[in-house]
Amino acid sequence: MVDQLKFVQLEMMVLVLGLAVLIADLWMAPSKRRLIGHLSALSLGIIFLFSLRESYVDLVNESTDVFFNSRYKIDGLAIFFKRFFILAAIFVLIFAVDFADRIRSGFSEYYAFIIFALAGMMFAASANDFSMLFVSIELITITFYILVSYQRHRLQSLEAGVKYLILGAVSSAFMIYGIALIFGEAGSLKFEDLHAKQSELLGSNVFLFGMLFLFAGLAFKISAFPFQVWAPDVYQGAPTPTTAFLALGSKAAGFVLLIRLLVISLPDLTREWTTLFICISAVTILYGNLCALPQRNLKRLLAYSGIANAGYLLMGIVAQSEAGTAAILYYLAGYLFALITIFLIINLLTKEGEGEDISCLENLNNRSPFLAVAMTLAVVSLAGIPPLAGFFGKFLLIKSVAIEAFGNIGYFVLLAVAVFGVVASIFYYFGIVRTVFWNHKVDEITPVSVGLPIRFVLVSCVVGILYLGLLPNKPIKWVESAAAVENKSLLE
Amino acid sequence: MIEPTLSHYLLISGALFSIGLLGVIVRRNILIIYMSLELMLNAANVALVAMSRFNGNLDGQVMVFFIITVAAAEVSVGLALIVALYRKRQTTEVGDLASMKL
Repeated sequence: MVDQLKFVQLEMMVLVLGLAVLIADLWMAPSKRRLIGHLSALSLGIIFLFSLRESYVDLVNESTDVFFNSRYKIDGLAIFFKRFFILAAIFVLIFAVDFADRIRSGFSEYYAFIIFALAGMMFAASANDFSMLFVSIELITITFYILVSYQRHRLQSLEAGVKYLILGAVSSAFMIYGIALIFGEAGSLKFEDLHAKQSELLGSNVFLFGMLFLFAGLAFKISAFPFQVWAPDVYQGAPTPTTAFLALGSKAAGFVLLIRLLVISLPDLTREWTTLFICISAVTILYGNLCALPQRNLKRLLAYSGIANAGYLLMGIVAQSEAGTAAILYYLAGYLFALITIFLIINLLTKEGEGEDISCLENLNNRSPFLAVAMTLAVVSLAGIPPLAGFFGKFLLIKSVAIEAFGNIGYFVLLAVAVFGVVASIFYYFGIVRTVFWNHKVDEITPVSVGLPIRFVLVSCVVGILYLGLLPNKPIKWVESAAAVENKSLLE
Repeated sequence: MIEPTLSHYLLISGALFSIGLLGVIVRRNILIIYMSLELMLNAANVALVAMSRFNGNLDGQVMVFFIITVAAAEVSVGLALIVALYRKRQTTEVGDLASMKL
């Protein structure tokens, strides 16, 4: 029994780290609080190294039947997402240390909540059962209620928190009711049992209704149309590190569950509902891109671009194939580096109380050429211009859909919408680039001071964007093997 | 005396869920919206327990414990948030939450 704990070793380490941060806070002098954040980021770095160890990766071949009754799955997909979440959390923690002055109180708790949310995401990456899915999703969501409203002295932050709270609670109510209906029809909470029974379950309306409710709950997490209303307000009001983590972690957690549920466990159902998913994906892309066009607030703009990106990522689900899953993973990796860069730079350029208006970027190429270049690379990568990370992500997603396209007109519509979305998005992304380089209404040239840890994060993100864009061969192999391991074990 | 069947329980649970959803949509007071949300969660609990009983599978009842625990955590965070908002704005009406627009 005890030696089976090795399956959850990473999660255990993360949880212990979170508790240690809370306890360390009691002994550290307030002036040293900065240190706690950096130390916990460093510890997460060590945990990341643990996830690379061969003995951990080899767990893929062992079965968790005894310990978790196959409710907890370790496979290539789970390990990929665990690493993704840890990496995102490291960047966000370093970011949060820089942001700590604006939180005013409870810095260490802020770090601890980021770490607890990370634990929830890591459990979600392995969830293979509805109880696991529900508890890990709620661990993420409830921590985010707190993280979003952390700046209690700012009305916007509180407002964003309350909006997220109410809409999040409605979505989890739908999700639970869906789970109840599915359980009633399938008689089991395990994804594997659903997989075994899927052909007979497809004939049951109660089951389909339950799946629809469950999908509504997960669509809220990834901010897909028609469950996207919360995103702009929450992204804008939340403290910037929270926004970054929300945009990356929460969305990726939704996607790993969607992949596990729709692509791996219930492929027949997804095939049945292809038209529905095509519609949702297409409308999400259109809505996000068109609403982003008139935005002046950068965080709001990124919220809409995040909605559009959820639409692109859904294309990988629509494709229903290993290639589609691999494309989702690749796209998310590129998205991680680009988003962290952009949010960090926005934070460096705005002071507390100011809105994150696009004009804060003016004159950036004179104030700090390094930041200007990093910002441009990140934005251009998001826009999907070759040869950067975002381009290959979008390319793989579109390719995975195009391969399936023959014989179904819906796929062609989706492809057309996706290409149109990319073109529309170029307008607002290049609005940002233009502000950085050419739009100088103010002539102040105050250099921007960038601390060493932040510089480290920015440099690694830029390297990540360039690496995924210029040398895609190796990373494509990684994501393909991460997506493939799963299907192999399914065939057994 | 009618022997209660699964559909009776599901009818109750469906009614609870609809009442809760209606409350969330219609009411403007955040506290009442929050109460309605709890109603929706408990509707799912009733359905899970009933289905668990009639399926002869205890997994559903265990799930209910998870839901109750999570709902308690959610309520404590949510009420704290609503109180913090009230201190700042002196309001619990959703209509007043409009400081962020385009």
